[in-house]
Amino acid sequence: MQVGVFFCLTEESEDLNIDSIAKYTANLPNVEIVRDLGIKPHPDMEEINEIIRANNLGRVVVAGDMPGYYKPAFTKAMSLAGGNTDEVRLASFMEHGAKGKEAMDRAKAIIACATMAVPFPLAAIPTGNPVNHSTLIIGGGIAGIQSALEIANAGKPVFLIEQSGTIGGHMAMFDKTFPTLDCAACILTPKMVNVGQHDMIQLFTRSRVAGITGDPGAYHVRIKQSARFVDVKSCVACNQCTEVCPVKVESEFDAGISLRKAIYIPFPQAVPNAYLVDPERCTYILSGGKKCGVCAKKCPKECINLNETDHYVDLEVGNIVLAIGYELLDVSRIDQYGYGKYPNVLTSLEFERLTNASGTTGGRIVMKSKRFNKKTEKDEWVFLPDGVPPKSVAIIHCVGSRNKKYNAYCSRVCCMYSLKFAHLVKEKIPDVTVYEFYIDMRAFGKGYEEFADRIKEEGTLIIRGHSAMVTMNNGQMVVRGEDIINDKLAEFHVDMVVLAVGLIPSPGTDELARMMDISKDHDGWFSELNYNGSPTDTEKGGIYVAGMCQGPKDIPDTVAQASAVAAGILRSLTTKRGIGHLSSIPLSEIEAKAKNIQTV
Amino acid sequence: MAIRVNPGFINDLNRFGKENIELCYQCGDCSAVCPHSDEFYKFPRKPIRLLQMGLEKKVETTLEPWLCYYCGDCSDLCPRDANPGDTMMILRRYLTSVYDWTGLSRKFYTSHWWEIGAVFVIGILIALLFSAFNPHGIVTTLTPDGGVKINEMFPVETVNIGAHIMLISIASFLIANIIRMWYLTLLKDRSVRIPFTLYFRKLYQLFVHFLTQKQFIKCKDRSYWIFHLLLMSAYVLMFVLIVGNLRWFQTDRIYSWYQPQRLLGYYSTLGLLAGLAFFSWGRIRKIGQKFKFSHLSDWIFIILLFLTTTSGILLHFFRLSGMPVASYYTYIIHMAVLVPMLCVEVPFSKWSHLAYRPFAIYFAEIKKSALPARKKNDA
Repeated sequence: MQVGVFFCLTEESEDLNIDSIAKYTANLPNVEIVRDLGIKPHPDMEEINEIIRANNLGRVVVAGDMPGYYKPAFTKAMSLAGGNTDEVRLASFMEHGAKGKEAMDRAKAIIACATMAVPFPLAAIPTGNPVNHSTLIIGGGIAGIQSALEIANAGKPVFLIEQSGTIGGHMAMFDKTFPTLDCAACILTPKMVNVGQHDMIQLFTRSRVAGITGDPGAYHVRIKQSARFVDVKSCVACNQCTEVCPVKVESEFDAGISLRKAIYIPFPQAVPNAYLVDPERCTYILSGGKKCGVCAKKCPKECINLNETDHYVDLEVGNIVLAIGYELLDVSRIDQYGYGKYPNVLTSLEFERLTNASGTTGGRIVMKSKRFNKKTEKDEWVFLPDGVPPKSVAIIHCVGSRNKKYNAYCSRVCCMYSLKFAHLVKEKIPDVTVYEFYIDMRAFGKGYEEFADRIKEEGTLIIRGHSAMVTMNNGQMVVRGEDIINDKLAEFHVDMVVLAVGLIPSPGTDELARMMDISKDHDGWFSELNYNGSPTDTEKGGIYVAGMCQGPKDIPDTVAQASAVAAGILRSLTTKRGIGHLSSIPLSEIEAKAKNIQTV
Repeated sequence: MAIRVNPGFINDLNRFGKENIELCYQCGDCSAVCPHSDEFYKFPRKPIRLLQMGLEKKVETTLEPWLCYYCGDCSDLCPRDANPGDTMMILRRYLTSVYDWTGLSRKFYTSHWWEIGAVFVIGILIALLFSAFNPHGIVTTLTPDGGVKINEMFPVETVNIGAHIMLISIASFLIANIIRMWYLTLLKDRSVRIPFTLYFRKLYQLFVHFLTQKQFIKCKDRSYWIFHLLLMSAYVLMFVLIVGNLRWFQTDRIYSWYQPQRLLGYYSTLGLLAGLAFFSWGRIRKIGQKFKFSHLSDWIFIILLFLTTTSGILLHFFRLSGMPVASYYTYIIHMAVLVPMLCVEVPFSKWSHLAYRPFAIYFAEIKKSALPARKKNDA
């Protein structure tokens, strides 16, 4: 059968040397004609029809990054020429991962398979290598927890490492989930406890990856576990150490709106349910053992060892899951909203902790109160449980998201959690006015649009127009914005401003990407192998991505992706064949395999 | 009445200066941050929306672009880097071409050749005119003060006639265009009915804004206002002195330095130089948003004004120090730059804004005062 190959390219294929690929293609058996139609072509049906007739082509291969886009034109041309329209085959570079160092060979292999009408994934399965049954999961947020439980429940051992003192991640900080307004802790904490007690899960908190070697199926990972200074097994969380600790530090778990001690438990439901010491703030550790140390004396179980040192653990694992999550954009970079200048301008996470029943005000939404700090002899603004509730609250969307100066991308969760905030404010404070300033309302998930409608019906003033700035006028905060739908330019007087701050990759992303040689997309998130086809794989065999670290997504999507990762890992464990690195199969092998399949 | 959409409008507008108008996603940040935007005139977002939708006829009736002083706050804040400030500037160029019934303005703004060509053709014609029609040629004898007899080379009476012809033609073009502006922005807008007396009650606005340009005060950076005012006052003063009072200004007598004739001239020269230095330095170094993008018309004006000013200074110097040949040629060069600058820039290009801007504020005030009346009637 005569085959014709047509290249229909996009700008993305600029790193590929098309001339060289075309030369290779022309030498393939049965290939009669190779045409490069250039970048973003408009294929002319008549012309292709002529080519098909003139060369008596029985099969047409459309090669490029998104060849499916051009398929209809070729199918029509094929039918005009009286050929079999099923023989219009696609050779998609993007879909089959022709990128990176091996891009050229891979692109050639993709075309070779297409000319033989062999599905590429059939010919290009890396030979299985024995897989170690253990899985390493990096990151103990909801994604890591979900993957760990799925795999462990299937009876396979899991190492879960988490850099802070407890698992739970950001979800543990949330009050409610959207759009169902379920209590986040009610979903998360049973899972956390399950992880803590599971026979197949070994948990390493305060740990980071220090090094990685080996091949897919048999990775050697070195973990650096920082000293916790408290023996997890014997600590009963009696809180006596915290009571005597003299050092006060802003709580990470409370997003900085409350204080914790240098020896602390992040939150009462922490897993492992044990205290830990912040070595950067502990007087004893900072003074080299000369001062303080009262907690160790006070502890009834004698489980505090302030002289503990960091240590390394070596693990042998078959598969690795990256689930390291995200963090908020540094909002002090965006000065127009007065964050840091006016006390009652909050980030979304701060508000989340304020409204949380386990938070510093017991879930009451109040304004900050002025308090005299005797130590620094300065007034400071703090949240007190008996503070005054705000009469009006402005929630500003897209702070640092969809903005070319900060994050060009949409953070995807802000619209919905902002609506949730509006509901929580309305629920907790009677007669409050809530403004939502949005650019475009992205209520894309199941039940989300209905949720947005519900919030509107509850009386929240949803204003189309991204407000430009927050100023202070005689002690009254003023949000200046354009109400586009009502055609008004107005100054809104508010007592509290909540900024829906954009999300950025967690700071560990760079380091891990370098260590594991995984590429990142231009926004800095981990790159998946194929956004549509294999959204959980990376170009490295046996390394998967789950949750936010692959790109912003909400909790349902994160959980779904984490479960999908578990499915991939369990497949590799049951088939006893791990997926090798994409680059591990040479071109000749794919060609040979494709030929085999073709003759069968 | 249905509003006609012109899908090619943005492409047409791009000929007045390239800006990515389609980038805008209508968040309204620009309107909210703009110190000039208010409850009645919300911009730049709204006019940009009109552009995006291709509502050409509606854009023609907007006054908003003239209310913008291009401080650049909107462009600084714009999350899409869509440069709303420059879009307003482009709209001002476009509106100038809409108001101009001759169509020359459009040619000058959209074609480099037309703009540069017009300046050169007028310049050469003027140079030829002055070299051909002077009765005595180069007069080498000096006045008793030791100055050059400039009035014997170029008799002030003759030049004055030319100056008045130029003045009248520039003024009539400009007035015709302002009438057209009034027709488009006030008369055509059926949503407001403007009581006739309002035109008189608001007339003072025209002079206040022309003379003080106090709207600039609303912008954060006041230096722009100071230099703009300096340049404008110097320019207008010079215009009045030269074109209006040539008899008094072009003399062979050498006055003492403290005489008003010389003092006013020096003030103008200094004002022009200071303004020119500020604007050209800003445009060369692209300081801030307002100087980030320079259109050919922006540069042509700076260059012509610079040449006019320097040749004027040289002429003054040559005349006082009794250098007839140098004075003769400098005079011709001075005229060959000055006349095209006035004829091209004032009625048809960049400097027409000296008339359009105060008139736009005047019209805007009228419209604003008329609007509540309409609302009351509706109620």
